[in-house]
Amino acid sequence: MKISLEKIENNTAVLKFEVDEEQFEQAMEQAYRKDAKKFAIPGFRRGKAPRKLIEMHYGPEVFYESAAEIILPQAYQKGVQQYHLEPVDQPAYDIEQIEKGKPLIATAKVVVSPEVKLKEYRGLEVEKVVYNVTEEDVEKELKALQEKNARLIAVEDRPSQKGDVAVIDFEGRIDGEPFEGGKAENYHIEIGSGALIDGFEDQIEGMNPGETREINITFPGDYKVESLAGKQATFSVTLKELKKKELSPLDDEFAKDVSEFDTLEELKIDIKNKLEQRAKTIEEGSLKSAIVDKLMENAEVDIPHVMIDREIDRLIMDFVYNLKMRGLDLKTYLESTKMTPQEFREKFHDRAHVNVKSSLVLQEVAKREDIKVSDEEADEEIQKYAEMSKKTADEYKKSLKPEDISRIKDIILTRKIFDFLISNAKITEKKLEDAQKENDNPIEGENM
Amino acid sequence: MKDPHDIILRPWITEKTMDMKKDKKYAFVVDKFSNKTEIKNAVESIFGVKVEKVNTINMRGKRKRMGVHTGKRPDWKKAIVTLRKDSKEIEFFEAL
Repeated sequence: MKISLEKIENNTAVLKFEVDEEQFEQAMEQAYRKDAKKFAIPGFRRGKAPRKLIEMHYGPEVFYESAAEIILPQAYQKGVQQYHLEPVDQPAYDIEQIEKGKPLIATAKVVVSPEVKLKEYRGLEVEKVVYNVTEEDVEKELKALQEKNARLIAVEDRPSQKGDVAVIDFEGRIDGEPFEGGKAENYHIEIGSGALIDGFEDQIEGMNPGETREINITFPGDYKVESLAGKQATFSVTLKELKKKELSPLDDEFAKDVSEFDTLEELKIDIKNKLEQRAKTIEEGSLKSAIVDKLMENAEVDIPHVMIDREIDRLIMDFVYNLKMRGLDLKTYLESTKMTPQEFREKFHDRAHVNVKSSLVLQEVAKREDIKVSDEEADEEIQKYAEMSKKTADEYKKSLKPEDISRIKDIILTRKIFDFLISNAKITEKKLEDAQKENDNPIEGENM
Repeated sequence: MKDPHDIILRPWITEKTMDMKKDKKYAFVVDKFSNKTEIKNAVESIFGVKVEKVNTINMRGKRKRMGVHTGKRPDWKKAIVTLRKDSKEIEFFEAL
């Protein structure tokens, strides 16, 4: 078998095969054994007719296709190994000559992983967002906890004020006509929380329990129910009950109630630890994404369409999975958002592009720095997972499929690449006052 | 005298006759009115082999119906020709 690499351009490699007669003949024989059952010849049960008779009846071409299907993938695999190609798609075969007693000549066209032109990857200048957890943060967290665990106590002897929880019945009318959604009974509202339209909560301040009051509201112009936007409405509101929140004092008793800790001090330490943990995760995430951003700026890649399409498919699969978890399916989602499938796909394009590019760039770094994951390292990681799920390493390993192991290796590899990049980057620290306001930074390219 | 090709009409190729090749037996469809000697001579002259013996079977044509009309396929004769041990094989069958 002769295999030659014809050319690589636009990320497409063309391999040319010349399979000699004997090998082709062998493949034909295999094809006959596989397909014999398909041919019916009078005088023979299916699958029992000799190959020559089948060829006489159906013409010598009958086995060509199957033979090519058998031999070409083998040849292709060899070619890929021989020329160290990194295909990202299934190859497209093109048969030039196929005839009994002659060599089989064919080409395979396949999209290969693009070349990454990476300029700088050491000494990347990135900003690291640093956030130190202060006493204030802990206090704030504690306060929130207190709020959440507050008891409601009925108030009888005074009018409503901000911060109270009012239980109200209301009915709204526009031009004397009731409208949809304008009526409710036993509605709990915390005055001053801003849960209702502007002005509503203000106007029920100072009411006594049992009192009924008429209030006028103008719906804002950008109200989400279009038919109501900008309209004047009159609500008759009855205050049925008034409750005030009573905060429990911050003491050991409180700590016992809301957590598994016995003293307030322990609770505080725990909160602090948790906050620090969170701050650290955010720090790390933002640092990683900053590094990836920087890397991508420094890299030039001509990404083949197939790779992006694949990534889009993957993203959509994830998305559909998420929808399913919420009990929706893609069709209803598309209907409710009034998107065509094309538009929906288009939406993922940019993200797919970024994902593919970042993973290619990271792989390139790994290649250049010869970062690899050994089996031992994978085993160590498996050991850790095993401990987490309380199994022995061997037991756990047995439950893993080969894909799982390669995914674990990928995770380790990504981690090692980032370790390398971070230790080689020039990091300037930037203080951030409020880490909580920073949303979780999605780390691109984490799923390689 | 009849032409040998008018006696030996065509080979009778089935799974079973393919198996018989190893016993040096070959099956043919032959002229209904030929006898064993004629068949023996014809096979020897066409294929250049030596014949040990010939067995013949008269095959009845199948009854066939097209609606109310009944018909009958022609009767025919099948011959199993055994070659002598020292004879060569019939090349025509080897190609199959």
